[in-house]
Amino acid sequence: MNSRGGGARGRRRRALLYGTAVLLLALILFPFFWLLQMSFRSNDDILGFTLLSRPTLEHYGTLRVGQFPRSFANSVLASMASTLLSLLLGVPAAYSLSRGEFRARRQLALWVLATRMAPPIAFTIPFFLAYRHLELLDTVLGLVLIYLTFNLALVIWMMRSFFDGVPRALEEAAWIDGSSVWGGFLRVTLPLAAPGLAATAVLCFIFSWNDFFYALILTRSAAMTAPVAIVNFMQYEGWEWGKIAAGGTLVMLPVVIFSLVVRNYLVHGLTAGGLKE
Amino acid sequence: MARMDRSPSDAALAHRVAACPSVDGWAAQRRRAFLLGLIPALVVLAAITLAPALYLLVTSLTPLSLVRPAETAWNFSRPWTNFVALMADARFINSLGVQVRLSVVTVSLQLLAGLAVALMLNARSPFLEAVRTAFLVPMVLPPIVVAIIWKVLYTPEISPIHHLLARVGLPVSSLITNPRAALWAIALADTWEWFPFTMIMILAALQMMPEEPMEAARIDGAGPWQLFRFVVLPLLRPTLLLATLFRLIDSIKAFPLIYVMTNGGPGMVTEVTNYYAFIQAFNFSYWGYASAITVIMVAGVFFLSWLITRVVGTEVDIE
Repeated sequence: MNSRGGGARGRRRRALLYGTAVLLLALILFPFFWLLQMSFRSNDDILGFTLLSRPTLEHYGTLRVGQFPRSFANSVLASMASTLLSLLLGVPAAYSLSRGEFRARRQLALWVLATRMAPPIAFTIPFFLAYRHLELLDTVLGLVLIYLTFNLALVIWMMRSFFDGVPRALEEAAWIDGSSVWGGFLRVTLPLAAPGLAATAVLCFIFSWNDFFYALILTRSAAMTAPVAIVNFMQYEGWEWGKIAAGGTLVMLPVVIFSLVVRNYLVHGLTAGGLKE
Repeated sequence: MARMDRSPSDAALAHRVAACPSVDGWAAQRRRAFLLGLIPALVVLAAITLAPALYLLVTSLTPLSLVRPAETAWNFSRPWTNFVALMADARFINSLGVQVRLSVVTVSLQLLAGLAVALMLNARSPFLEAVRTAFLVPMVLPPIVVAIIWKVLYTPEISPIHHLLARVGLPVSSLITNPRAALWAIALADTWEWFPFTMIMILAALQMMPEEPMEAARIDGAGPWQLFRFVVLPLLRPTLLLATLFRLIDSIKAFPLIYVMTNGGPGMVTEVTNYYAFIQAFNFSYWGYASAITVIMVAGVFFLSWLITRVVGTEVDIE
């Protein structure tokens, strides 16, 4: 629908389009940048709305003491462990589904879709009750396991479609040369699906990292994650906006960077199970 | 996508395999290997999804409360009590109403905003491509950060918007403490967070759209509006329905925004069903009752997806 054909009119329309797009973008991103700049302002400047204020790192300094560093480490650990575990379990399953002939394929896809749709509270209640007996409350392992409820389904579904895209002839050649089934997979198919594997891993990491609800309920102090720690600043330490903004910035920066890297797979991951491609 | 279940090399492989003594051996070996790859994941998936679902269902039939676990756990003397009580629970009915309002408003706004921005950015240019990527930022932020950002914007003492309005002589009191505005304030934040999702789904569909019908309509003298109304919109229908399905289902999970900004208040005006279940379980310790609420929610979500996929199913390939 773009107006082709140059000329002054076309150029003017193009300039108008670009201008509107940039203005709209500035408007949309304004709240995001506001939080970012707040984290570099002293508390007085935050309340005083001075236009020019000397940037300060004091809020980041205050984050280095107290619970935040540990909660940040918990977030990293839980997200990475859950990602690794779901890849370890999910990748072979995805390959098997892609290559083997299983009659229950459709039912399995529906199952994956159902786990994507169920509200988190449906998992939280039984997990909380079970964790009381299993002594998994307030442990990173407990978080890793509940994160599998969304990550494992995501890995199976995404990797299957990536494996579907790798030609079978290549691994068959490896088999003829005497590889075992999984040997051919490891030497030939998996390396060819590496970009997909990386994107899937990043998505698993992001989804675990972004979790707030599960961590809020299943952890208390020892395994508390960074998002929960920030909310605790709000509730127990009065309204230290600078510190909250700094914590928020630290939590969001890794995900924003990661997500923009895998942006092309983002919708794919978010609609896991629903679209056939 | 046509899956090639029988690639030509299958035949070549079969031929070569046939030459070696263990013909059946290879097929069986492959099948065993695939099962071996599949089973651990399925066992774990069942343990973490099916087992909890069953547990939830069973708990919803008991009056379980962790304050009095001895009498209430596994007590099936009156299994339907929770569900009967729910039908008369004004707070539950209220939460359904709040949920419907929030879902309808946010999903419609997200569809409209996503469609508008997608149509605007749908031109091949590296510049617009970069702009498109930047538009994704709200969606990829951790939900808790989105909640903090909007809490800042809605808190008069530190909000730049409130500050500006006060400067020009139009002071506005906080929206999230105002019972008449709180739900719409949350809807606005939610729309901001998720319109990029509908936007990229629609953009992807626009870019795969065939040129011919558009050309044909143009030759027939269709104007831009007619082109949109009679060619583009019908072609977008399946995508719009799918986006609606996903956003609708996710809108039922809304939690961090409400938890951080209003806590379900003021009063109960922003207390959606999800939040009510959370309060019943984790504040009041009525686990049986909370499970019953959740069972109804899950049933509702599945019914909704079934309904929409029935409509969409004929138009796009749903696996």
